[in-house]
Amino acid sequence: MTEPAIRVDGLHYAFGANTAVDDVSFTVAPGEILGFLGPNGAGKSTTIKMMTGLLDPQAGTITVLGMSMPGEKEAIQAEIGVCFEEKNLYLNMTGRENLVFFARLFGIKGLDPDPLLRRVDLFDRADDRAADYSKGMRQRLMVARSLVNRPRVLFLDEPTDGLDPVSSLAIRRIIREEADRGAAVVLTTHDMLEADKLSDRVAFIHEGRILAIDAPETLKLAHGKRSVRVRSQRGGEVEESVISLDGDGADDEIRRAVGVEGLLTIHTEEATLEDIFIEFAGRGLR
Amino acid sequence: MSRRAGIIGAIIRKDLVEFTRDRFYVLITVFGLVIYVAMYWFLPSSVDETIEAGIHWQGGLPQELSDGDGLEFTPFDSAAALEAAIDGSGDVSVPIGLDFPAGFTESVRAGTPTTVRVLLTTDVPAEYRGAMTSFVRELAFLISGADLPVTQLDTTEVILGEDRAGDQVSLQEKMGPMFVFFMLLIETFALATLVATEIQARTVTAVLATPTRVADFLAAKAIIGTTLAFGEALLLVILIGILGTGPLVLIVTLLLGALLVTGFGLIAGSTGKDFIGIVFWSMLFLVPLAIPSFAVLFPGSAAPWVRVLPSYGLIESIVRTTSYGDGLTDLAGPLLELAGWCVIVFAAGLFTLRRKVATL
Repeated sequence: MTEPAIRVDGLHYAFGANTAVDDVSFTVAPGEILGFLGPNGAGKSTTIKMMTGLLDPQAGTITVLGMSMPGEKEAIQAEIGVCFEEKNLYLNMTGRENLVFFARLFGIKGLDPDPLLRRVDLFDRADDRAADYSKGMRQRLMVARSLVNRPRVLFLDEPTDGLDPVSSLAIRRIIREEADRGAAVVLTTHDMLEADKLSDRVAFIHEGRILAIDAPETLKLAHGKRSVRVRSQRGGEVEESVISLDGDGADDEIRRAVGVEGLLTIHTEEATLEDIFIEFAGRGLR
Repeated sequence: MSRRAGIIGAIIRKDLVEFTRDRFYVLITVFGLVIYVAMYWFLPSSVDETIEAGIHWQGGLPQELSDGDGLEFTPFDSAAALEAAIDGSGDVSVPIGLDFPAGFTESVRAGTPTTVRVLLTTDVPAEYRGAMTSFVRELAFLISGADLPVTQLDTTEVILGEDRAGDQVSLQEKMGPMFVFFMLLIETFALATLVATEIQARTVTAVLATPTRVADFLAAKAIIGTTLAFGEALLLVILIGILGTGPLVLIVTLLLGALLVTGFGLIAGSTGKDFIGIVFWSMLFLVPLAIPSFAVLFPGSAAPWVRVLPSYGLIESIVRTTSYGDGLTDLAGPLLELAGWCVIVFAAGLFTLRRKVATL
């Protein structure tokens, strides 16, 4: 069995009287994308900060690539890449300079940033200052920056938040490529579709606790409602009915609906991750 | 070790790039340097110690009232003309006037009371008033041929250090240390802004998610701040031509001064939440720190509380080197005091920045 790239056990952190992370445990395998889903203030960023060495846990253990955090922080940080929610770039420096500078912090001398810049479609603007970049370009540069050390573990905090579809697509493609390369990816996002499409597993986090963790499909099958919506026309009027697939006799109901005269449309409906999150947390993600 | 040095070097190189590309930093640095150098060379480099006084004396001036010993007399025909020269309404202007009454010589020789009017402009220093009164009394004794009340008493002047009589410390010399100090302070603003920008933009978080330690980040900021402040202050003392008065002691003093302002810059940068916040904190430090440099402008010793200010040792060392030729041994006291403040302020700056970074 493959050793997990990340193992978190009983993690706890409180800011004074406010508990931000409470008994959080999970693992992430190499090449796996774990989607961290939760509303603002749920504890996602605090968990990531502890995993990346920016905060020391008050309780619990974190093991990354077999090394313990914070004891072997520097060795872990040499192997990870972090893309923050804030666009924390050096705006007076060019895209190229930003990458070269961060490479030096990893002890990489003479980095050729061009392949990375091409990968995030910024090669043509590589010598422009980051201050002159659009929001999408800055985000792509942030992603490129998180890859300068060819990380074995990648932490991405809201990497596509507020981006145009083209930039979002480009970033999703890169995340998938990194996972395919073997990097373990921890992704926090508000975007249900993104989490659904990208994540091998998702973790619902709410008020500092993990409520559920599993593959999106498994969660949807286990907790979501499945139904078929049938629309038909009878005597000039459009009728609509919803057949639940979870109850008894669903097969007969569907057969009857398909045989109805004047059938217009049949749609299968399944729960979204947001529906399931609401079921667990009693509130939405935003 | 080499890895740590590589990281610190990378941050320093990055800071230099950011510094040189920020118009604000470049502008205030170049502007400060040009303005201070220009102002220094425009200031008078010597002090005219001659006291000009107007005299109204009926008849020909006695031989005892001839020019000399730092006194230059301008005769006036009438008391009214002398008064006009004092109050500025006449063609000629003098700050001090001596209006001798008719029959002054006869009166003093006869030992009868007489009154000499000493006329002064409002801005004449108090010590000049006493000096003029004493001068008139001495003149009376000279004219009467009588001895001064006490003839046995004699005084001997002992000047500890370089005797600057006849070569008083000029305004240019007095302002030099102030310009050097303000040049150092400019870097407080620049470093504070550099640090605050890292904190506000959270770039420091990105840096600390790499193998960079907080200590590396702090070391880089300390080195860049001290180097920039020291470099610019050194350039200023070269351009105003005072480095030659004591190169070693000035270099040591400026280095300590650069460390001191860097400490304050780290505190201001870590505490100020935005540019206004930085200006607020910097000004809070600037005003008390500037007091010793103003104290130099006025004669006499600085008040005891001024002597304990962190910048006192810096100003004192520059003044005593450039104006009195003191060396490292002479200045051991103020330099040690300055070094002590450097340790305290620098430690406070590092502590504040470390705390700030930890809470991001």
